[in-house]
Amino acid sequence: MLLALPPLIGALPASDAGTSAADLRRAALDSTGVAFAGYAQAAGGLALPVGEQLTGVADLLSDRTTMRTWYRGVGDWRVDVVSPTGETGVHADASGTWTWDYVANAATRTADTALALPSAPDLLPSALGRRLLSEAGDAELSRFGADRVAGRDALGLRVVPAEESASVGRVDVWVDAASGLPLRVQVFGAAGGEPAVDTSFLELDLTTPPAEVVDFAVPAAAGIREGQAPQLLLAATRGTRDSTLVLPAALAGLDRRTIEGAPARVGVYGRGVTLLTVGALPGRASDGLRTALAGAPGAVVDDLGVRIAAGPLGLMLADGPDGAVLLTGTVTLDALAAAATELTGEAP
Amino acid sequence: MIAVELRKLFRRPRTWVTIGMLNALPVLVAVLLAVTDLAPRPGEGPVFLSAVLTNGTLYPLAALAIVLPLFLPIAVSVVAGEAIAGEAQAGTLRYLLARPAGRTRLLVAKLVSVIAFVLVTVVVVAAVGYVVGQLLFDVQPIGGTTLSGTTITPEQIAWRTVLAIGYITVSMLGVAAFALFFSTLTDSPLAAALGALAVLIASSLLFTLDAASSFAPYLPTRYWLAFVDLFREPVLWRDIVRGIGLQAVYVVVLVSAAWANFTTKDITS
Repeated sequence: MLLALPPLIGALPASDAGTSAADLRRAALDSTGVAFAGYAQAAGGLALPVGEQLTGVADLLSDRTTMRTWYRGVGDWRVDVVSPTGETGVHADASGTWTWDYVANAATRTADTALALPSAPDLLPSALGRRLLSEAGDAELSRFGADRVAGRDALGLRVVPAEESASVGRVDVWVDAASGLPLRVQVFGAAGGEPAVDTSFLELDLTTPPAEVVDFAVPAAAGIREGQAPQLLLAATRGTRDSTLVLPAALAGLDRRTIEGAPARVGVYGRGVTLLTVGALPGRASDGLRTALAGAPGAVVDDLGVRIAAGPLGLMLADGPDGAVLLTGTVTLDALAAAATELTGEAP
Repeated sequence: MIAVELRKLFRRPRTWVTIGMLNALPVLVAVLLAVTDLAPRPGEGPVFLSAVLTNGTLYPLAALAIVLPLFLPIAVSVVAGEAIAGEAQAGTLRYLLARPAGRTRLLVAKLVSVIAFVLVTVVVVAAVGYVVGQLLFDVQPIGGTTLSGTTITPEQIAWRTVLAIGYITVSMLGVAAFALFFSTLTDSPLAAALGALAVLIASSLLFTLDAASSFAPYLPTRYWLAFVDLFREPVLWRDIVRGIGLQAVYVVVLVSAAWANFTTKDITS
């Protein structure tokens, strides 16, 4: 009887509502003002062939991440990644974030920048759901049923990207019927199967958390570090400065877009959940990556360069006229090859 | 009868030798750390151990974390596995039951003595850890830092350590219940203790497998490390509450099974 209880509770029907897909998307995007405290788990199924430098990102996309969060509003929240023996807490304020790392006994101050590596707060269902819905067109949206997530009625909203080059098959977002908060997000590759990213609230409380829980004061004995994001931006700007790579207005059928604050010689193409980033990579950085990519299972090596797919995420190191060009994004391997051909003028 | 069993347990030199040996490892670790000044890198080794060099008040917790995965369950399994099977093997069970007290009361008395052993053992490990921590390491008068990076006063550390001791005791009751149940099935205390340990090793192994994640929340060792959550700010009660509930279910089911088995069993030795 005890064993049967959890599935029985899980089978309790959730009440659906007649909300349209467009209205539900609007409600989700407008939920940035909804305060909450919650407990969430994210599971990634992407095996990224990266070296020592990006283990944090690779772990985030391949492991199970357990998070506690307190959200009072935009620029006033805290997300803790909880592990059995430690904790990493990100506290956001108006100008940036403090990241507390118990294991390193250090607090890191990071200013908001246009370019930053993915971190745990990006995987929170509320943040990820809003991000993935932000540019979805009405024609890409559909409704599907309802489910109970974190004990609340959640309405299903599906995004199927319209672009031919999309490697994301669909994104399923369960949106809280009462508040509009995205409660669960699943990202599937074009082939379907297991989700590449699955993040969900397990507990949610919609009362505003107290300010003292979100605020952060550096402990007396802790070290203080400067965040990597500005260096990352600087390195990306410097690394691409001497490049003669000409970024066209469109690549693989995806239009170029401008991102304020991003390095001028890094091109971002596409929209919604179909994005492609292109930039020249200095020799010292490309050699290690080339070896890692070529050694990854399923790697395609040809005259264009080397490319792999880690779930819906495509990575390619193309041989440009004056050095390596890194192409990465949520596009198919064929789209990567097409983009490389357009960039280098070489046929595959 | 309970008093008789308690006296028997705590007058036996073996009980104190077991508790003494259980403390040997944390003391050795503390001496090594103090002499070499080489704490494990943060995030490696038992939880809180990397922090004790700068704050000795955390050593009771580090000591408990050192013995929790293996030594403590072994000690509890051996004592609980011996409860009934030990009497049967020694040929004293039928004499015990010849008294008018009855089998249920004997089982309850054995259960209480096992619980007392678990509590005394955990408290002694923490107490020895406290003394060792005060003697060998620096003690910060202002307290320490929680896992969440907030300041915690010595009083708060003391309170939360008491709660952690209680939680670890509860965690061990599941082990004791397994061993006590097996103890009613066999006449060999060794088989009962090893049976309980086999369950724990299987549980620890299954917990690391993603393929077993569907029933991982019901594994007896699933929430053992949740006492660490007492040192987050705010305290993360989720796993602690689940851990207590899970142990309660194991204890109720296994002790009921032990009772059903023991009260209907033919006593031949």
